[in-house]
Amino acid sequence: MRYLLLLLTILLTGCFKEPLYHSQSYVFGTLVDISIYGETDEHARFLANHILEDFQKLHHQLHAWKPVSQNKLSELGQLNAAFQQANSPTAISPALAAMLADATELSIKSNGLFNPAIGHLISTWGFQRDEFTAIAVDAAAVKNLVHAQPRMTDIVIKDNAAYSTNPTVKLDLGGYAKGYALDIAVAYLRKEHVKNALINIGGNIIALGKHGDSPWRVGVQHPRQPTAIATLALADGWAVGTSGDYQRYFMLNGKRYCHIIDPRTGYPVGHAQSVTVLVPPQPFNQSQAGVLSDVASKPIFIETPENRSKAAQALGIENFMVIDDKAHIFVSKNMVNKLNWLTPNVQFTTLP
Amino acid sequence: MFNLPRYLKLLNLTSLNPKLFNPKLFSPKLFNPKLFNPKLITQHVLFGDWLVLVAGVFCVLYLFQTLWSGEHAAKVQIRLSDKIYATYSLNQQREVHVHGKLGDAVIVIAQGKARFSKSPCTTQYCVHQGWLSHAGQAAICLPNQISLELIGDAKPYDSLNY
Amino acid sequence: MKNTHIQTTVDDHRIAKLAAFAIALHMVEAVIPSPLPGVKPGIANIVTLYVLYQYGFATAAWVSILRVFASSLLLGQFLSPTFILSLSGAVVSLAVLWLAMHLPKRYFGAVSLSILAAFGHIAGQLLLVRFWLIPHAGVAYLIPVFALAALFFGLINGLITAKLLYNKR
Repeated sequence: MRYLLLLLTILLTGCFKEPLYHSQSYVFGTLVDISIYGETDEHARFLANHILEDFQKLHHQLHAWKPVSQNKLSELGQLNAAFQQANSPTAISPALAAMLADATELSIKSNGLFNPAIGHLISTWGFQRDEFTAIAVDAAAVKNLVHAQPRMTDIVIKDNAAYSTNPTVKLDLGGYAKGYALDIAVAYLRKEHVKNALINIGGNIIALGKHGDSPWRVGVQHPRQPTAIATLALADGWAVGTSGDYQRYFMLNGKRYCHIIDPRTGYPVGHAQSVTVLVPPQPFNQSQAGVLSDVASKPIFIETPENRSKAAQALGIENFMVIDDKAHIFVSKNMVNKLNWLTPNVQFTTLP
Repeated sequence: MFNLPRYLKLLNLTSLNPKLFNPKLFSPKLFNPKLFNPKLITQHVLFGDWLVLVAGVFCVLYLFQTLWSGEHAAKVQIRLSDKIYATYSLNQQREVHVHGKLGDAVIVIAQGKARFSKSPCTTQYCVHQGWLSHAGQAAICLPNQISLELIGDAKPYDSLNY
Repeated sequence: MKNTHIQTTVDDHRIAKLAAFAIALHMVEAVIPSPLPGVKPGIANIVTLYVLYQYGFATAAWVSILRVFASSLLLGQFLSPTFILSLSGAVVSLAVLWLAMHLPKRYFGAVSLSILAAFGHIAGQLLLVRFWLIPHAGVAYLIPVFALAALFFGLINGLITAKLLYNKR
């Protein structure tokens, strides 16, 4: 009789579903995956919808090129138009002002490799569209834009109004907005006393708490195959971001042109396939983990191979992985034992 | 020589004579517990027998490892925008037509695999992902808002960073 | 009606006797419930293997096939999927025995042949299941379980056969 009861109990535990809510939506121009653990389905759905609405608002606020409604540009689009016409200071929301200040600081720290002011260059290469086709770029236009050196420091912000001293500055926060969205989502969830969640915006992921008894596990995409090359655990507040040449690119004459452009040359970077950075929670008075996970992978991607470690250090990144154009893998010392390789016999070089 | 009808007649089992069985073959001595003495048993196991036995063990272990690893994806989940459009078993040959934001996409399911075979998007990244065959693998058509994911027992991660 | 008295040889009697014994063992086994359909000790195979050693392959083949046909008739499973499975298993395991019996007897005894034939048996059955009866890739989950059973019972049957052959010496 005892054994029957035991058997029954064991069978029943298999019947209960774990309290995991999972939603997938196309928001922010990309795929957003929200997992919330430990809340009722109803409450989780409410929380997720709120987050998605916030994302939608942010998307409308920051869209770099598309009019978001009847020929009305986003807040950022309007600012860009004002910059181009060298108008007098345009009023901007405090949130945008804070974003721009943060982005400027990061741009300086990265020695200009992270440069959201090169919107015109990005559009010249055709990457400010929803779908990319191969284009033979106007080399002269690129040269002129590089020469004009649009920089974040050309923007002056005072009393929530901004103007640019350089009319070639066009803001494209594509490498910043996803990370920023992750941070506001986490801030919201923490305010709502949610302990465990995992948010994925277009591949950029931030974790809150754990998945039940075990940490949240994240797969890292192989740059050339539809599988994950490794997994790693994301602890509370940690974020992971990857810049790659395999999501937004076009091929021309057998050569790949990806969307990550070196501001110094004006041309897409060709010596790397992907860079992944892992970021711990940051102190409140600095750029947050989400933003860093989005921003920091770009300078490392752009920098020449011998300077990659320096580029990482400049932004305080201790955990990163690079897969270069020849598919050689480089892993920073601190990240080596965080990665669980999914394919056997993976060769990689440890960076000091 | 060996003629089937003859044997069937010989095996007239309705009148089976018990004496046909040699009871000595199954004498109680065979089930004597003393017989489970290891030395007595292994004296019949020759060198080649041990080889076959060990090979058999490795074979069984290998089979458990490969076939029970859980990587074995059983289903493919097709999502359209923010809803689950359909979930199909991978054990079939099937073409699924999904109407997305941009137009019609065609998803092909073959024994144990699935892929985007046609898509109205210009970049065709989804089609270039090729065949998905393991649990956790996914292909996404962002412009058309359709995603494929293979579901198996053991998903190696909660979310994919790309 | 002309008298159709069949002339039986000693061989015929022997085969009939042995086949009957194998059938009896199969009947006994049919009464014992198995945890998973298809997982059986296969003790009738002891007879097949014993016969192989004592009287050669032809006799063993006859005994085996007769056992499959007759026991299915007795159990009311003639021409049912169970019968087809039994037959395919028997055919493949006989083929394996036919090859394996040429292994040097100094090194490979009844245990080897029994294990090899057991794997052959499940292979024949699983192929039939996968491509005809249940064409579902989920069958893959059964393969390791059957392989384990084949290994285990193949070993035991082989040991018993070896012991019997030893006693007979």
